[in-house]
Amino acid sequence: MPHDLPNPNVEPSRSSRRPAENMNEADDMGLLTRIQSGHQEAMAALFDRYGTMVYSVAFRVLKDAGEAEDVMQEIFVQVWRNPGAFVSGRGSLAGWLVVVARNRSIDMIRRRRPTEPVELFALPSSTNLAREAERNSLVEKIRGVMGSLPDEQRKSVELAFFEGLSHSEIAEKTGDPLGTVKTRIRLALTTIRKALTV
Amino acid sequence: MSTKPHTSQEDLALYAMQALPAEEQQRAQAHLDVCAYCRAALLEALTDVAAVGLSAEQQPPPEGARQRLMARIANTPQATPQATRPTVEAVPEQRKAGFGLGWLGWAVALAMLAVAAYLGYGNYKLQRQLNEDRGQITRLQAAADRAEELTEALTSPAAKQVTLTETKRPAQPVGHATYLPARGALIFVANNLRPVPENKTYELWLIPANGKAPIPAGLFRPDKSGSASVVLPTLPQGVEAKAFGVTIEDAQGSPTPTLPIVMSGQ
Repeated sequence: MPHDLPNPNVEPSRSSRRPAENMNEADDMGLLTRIQSGHQEAMAALFDRYGTMVYSVAFRVLKDAGEAEDVMQEIFVQVWRNPGAFVSGRGSLAGWLVVVARNRSIDMIRRRRPTEPVELFALPSSTNLAREAERNSLVEKIRGVMGSLPDEQRKSVELAFFEGLSHSEIAEKTGDPLGTVKTRIRLALTTIRKALTV
Repeated sequence: MSTKPHTSQEDLALYAMQALPAEEQQRAQAHLDVCAYCRAALLEALTDVAAVGLSAEQQPPPEGARQRLMARIANTPQATPQATRPTVEAVPEQRKAGFGLGWLGWAVALAMLAVAAYLGYGNYKLQRQLNEDRGQITRLQAAADRAEELTEALTSPAAKQVTLTETKRPAQPVGHATYLPARGALIFVANNLRPVPENKTYELWLIPANGKAPIPAGLFRPDKSGSASVVLPTLPQGVEAKAFGVTIEDAQGSPTPTLPIVMSGQ
């Protein structure tokens, strides 16, 4: 049970709600429970926390600021509409936001049906993502690991994630055997996981 | 319960990125629908995939994006209306119906709000508990699937039991006991056993370290290939083992070992 559960009997008036700045230190669960109670300021705080992260993924895939903003807005509106779906006591909202931003963006460039819903899951890191400095540090760490991967591994995993190519399309594009592409992607992901869990 | 084989790590990572061809993606989805073990593994794959997403160069959202989002949210209802947020239109309706007893309408409205708030809070707690329980069930199901798979691999007649020995030496009867004293949990797998007559059986014994009498730990007969196993026989908990032994007993077993001990190890 989160420490900042809203008391339904003392719902603050809209004019007396806490400003977003005061929510910057609240954990994701705290923000979500406030969003569940209809606090728009908590939604603003969530956007301040993860807007850049979500937009960056969408922009990297779509390479178009307008479309990337559309994807970002749709995702945050989804959280606003149904915050209860995320108040599960497990998993990380950040990880979910990143994967869904990527999936929606790929759906957009491929003009395909929305992909299957994604469950919440934990990021392989003990970083407190509520803090901007730690968020930035995690991103830098991951960028460092990606940069240290052998070129062919990084290329394979980026083609799959950011370009939305299937492994057979990657094999066709790179001229590598299918099994090699699979192995490269697995090795890249394993390296990233190890780097983040040590 | 799961259908085998499980989805490979490679395919789960590709599935998480929808990088499998459509047919394989559907096949993986069908398996995930029934396999808690693979669903748990998928969550791990998703964490790796999310990390890749975090490697994107960080770009701040366009100017005004925050205001546009907040404006949109202000006009977007939430899926479950909050019981604690009365609609402002309700107040004049109560006044019209009051006929001089407007306070009664307010009292009723307040009482209804209190009830709605109580129910809303209760609903919130139940929903939260339900979500936590679902997570717990998924984890337990994954653990159960894993345990079932492990047990099947160890004991199934279809499992191939191979004992490696020095080359050019005839295979000798050999048994492997894995024992956890605190739980009284024992798994024993034997290979290359010699057949026993119909009216006889092998019996496994736990020899306690405290010098007390050997404890019977299960009867077993080898299959055609000479393999046999004893999985989780009923044993007292907390008994440290000095050794394990195997004897040949009458078919119904024996409460005390009959010499000779045909196999032993410590």
